[in-house]
Amino acid sequence: MLQAIELTKQYVPGQPPSLDALNLTVQPGEIYCLLGQNGAGKTTTINLFLGFLPPTSGQALINGLNVAEYPQETKKFLAYLPETVMLYPNLTGLENLDFFAQLAGFRHTPDELHSLLSRAGLQTEAHGKRVGTYSKGMRQKVGIAIALAKQAKALLLDEPTSGLDPKASNEFSEILTGLAQSGTAILMATHDIFRAREVGTRIGIMRAGHLVESLSASDLTANELEAIYLQTV
Amino acid sequence: MIRQLIARNEFTQTRRDRRFVVAAGVVLLLLVVATWTGFRNYRSLADKREQANQSARAAWLGQTEKNPHSAAHYGTFAFRPKSDLSFLDFGLDTYTGASVYLEGHRQNDAKFSAAEDATVLIRFGEMTVAFVLQLLIPLLTIFLCFSTFTRERVENTLKLLVSQGASTPDLYWGKVWGYSQVVGLMVGPALLLAGGLLFAQTGFDATADTGLRLVLFVLLYALYFFLFVAGSVFVSARSSSSRNSLLTLLGVWIVACIILPKATANLGESLFSVPSSYAFRKQINEDQEKGIDGHNPSSARAKELEKKILAQYGVDSVSKLPVNFDGIVMQEGEKYTSMVYQKHFGALQDQFERQNSLADIVGFLNPYLAVRDLSMGLSGSDYAHFLDFKAKAEQYRFGLVERLNNHMKTFSKTGDWEKTVSRDFWAQTPDFQYQLPPVGWALRRHALSGLALMLFGSMLVWGVRRGLKTVSIA
Repeated sequence: MLQAIELTKQYVPGQPPSLDALNLTVQPGEIYCLLGQNGAGKTTTINLFLGFLPPTSGQALINGLNVAEYPQETKKFLAYLPETVMLYPNLTGLENLDFFAQLAGFRHTPDELHSLLSRAGLQTEAHGKRVGTYSKGMRQKVGIAIALAKQAKALLLDEPTSGLDPKASNEFSEILTGLAQSGTAILMATHDIFRAREVGTRIGIMRAGHLVESLSASDLTANELEAIYLQTV
Repeated sequence: MIRQLIARNEFTQTRRDRRFVVAAGVVLLLLVVATWTGFRNYRSLADKREQANQSARAAWLGQTEKNPHSAAHYGTFAFRPKSDLSFLDFGLDTYTGASVYLEGHRQNDAKFSAAEDATVLIRFGEMTVAFVLQLLIPLLTIFLCFSTFTRERVENTLKLLVSQGASTPDLYWGKVWGYSQVVGLMVGPALLLAGGLLFAQTGFDATADTGLRLVLFVLLYALYFFLFVAGSVFVSARSSSSRNSLLTLLGVWIVACIILPKATANLGESLFSVPSSYAFRKQINEDQEKGIDGHNPSSARAKELEKKILAQYGVDSVSKLPVNFDGIVMQEGEKYTSMVYQKHFGALQDQFERQNSLADIVGFLNPYLAVRDLSMGLSGSDYAHFLDFKAKAEQYRFGLVERLNNHMKTFSKTGDWEKTVSRDFWAQTPDFQYQLPPVGWALRRHALSGLALMLFGSMLVWGVRRGLKTVSIA
């Protein structure tokens, strides 16, 4: 479970905060999509949950643990997928996955690694090729496999579908839905209103560090959501 | 565990990077070639000097029957043997004299350095193992490490690494360990070759001292490379971009390895200046003539000696002495000139030592200088080893001349310059055998540089641990 309590981040004293008193809860099985323009505070929120930034005030909790106090423990519960993962170009997809999984403390057999990559949608021929030869979508799939391998309770995604072709994007949505059904709490920052409406259980719209709307995705059509979004930002 | 994983990852990645493989191949080739040519060069010099020492001895032994004092003027040569490790670091050997002419009445400087025979290209330095190890490997280390954090930050792998549970110290030390292995892989083969060559030439029967010097030499450079790897990875961790990181590191390299050594040498020369060769000789001659204090000219010294000896033997004229007075006069003269030479050479050497110790002090800021100093010391090609050879050659010269003078004193009468000694007398004089001082002696000479390196290393580790607390991930 992910929870933000009055979470605030001010990069430069005197300037308006980039994130202002955010309150947010993502329950297990929920997919929470954050919409908003660049600079609205989406990435800052995710970085605070990851512990990459210290909060100015307030708390980011993962499974009830404060990230600022327990940076290493909370990382055990979460997996993260950035907008673009370059990975290590001189290693194969399989080796990249093995390395990152081992970092998190998981030792998988080659068979398990192959099946993780396949679950993430990477075609089998590519498993043994160096990542330097991969397309963006293929790299993103290795990133998904890394997240899957961790069997995390919470998943943080920062614009994961930007630059993916519609088919890859669709496959990605299916994987997310599957993960949510098995009880993962998912927080995703995105620009893709259509995709957010498709996979999201809840949708938040951010503007200048504030969460200005928090809606239930099932109550809306994509067009309605777009209308609200354009009014809000 | 996590650190080892990160280290292995860096190692694998670097090994698969074609640019690196080419650069490392070139450096490895350079090192192997430098080791091999250095060794050939060393062997040929060592053999030549060994032969020269033998023929100098043979010439001494082959003297005809002659007056002992004529033999003192005939003199002999001492050639400085090359130390075993000097092929790894030529140090000052190229510029210091290879031989000393040993004769009565005067101390000669060591003459005939290798640089005298070389072309003007020697000004650009020699292609030695030490040159590659001290300057090129650090440069390659910089190219290897400058982007290790900055690139991962741009490509988002850093966030992924940290989100998987790796802490900044884990990442840092893992990377340092990984790159250290890479550097070891580049340098290792050449050092193995060096060790192999060294032990093969002695039929795998090298002295413990040589072995110990080689081990310390390897450890010294291991520490030096560690400092560069740790420093480069740290700069990368603290830099906002790869470009900044590279500029910072190259700046440090240029200052530490080029500007500061030159500036230190120039400053040392102007702070502690030495007299010209002409002025130096003139002072020695004056001190001999007028006495060290300037109030004790040689004529007065001779009169006093005569009075003393006559009183000692209880006679009233030199011709009544039972011994050869000329022998006594010459030995006393030898003692006096030795004193004069010791004073002037001592002052000159002190001045050179002061110039060197300035570099030792700057070594606290610049590990390159400390390593250069220790490396020469371990290789036996530094100024201290040169002075040791000179001192031992002088000791031998003094003993030899004293022996000749004493012989003259007892076996002939005053004024008898015609009497000769038989040829077997020459064989009774001992041969000059130079022994390299033990490694402990060398280390004591360079204790300051050792301390500087230790202190610098501790400060770096301390600074790194502090600086890692505020490394930005995002």
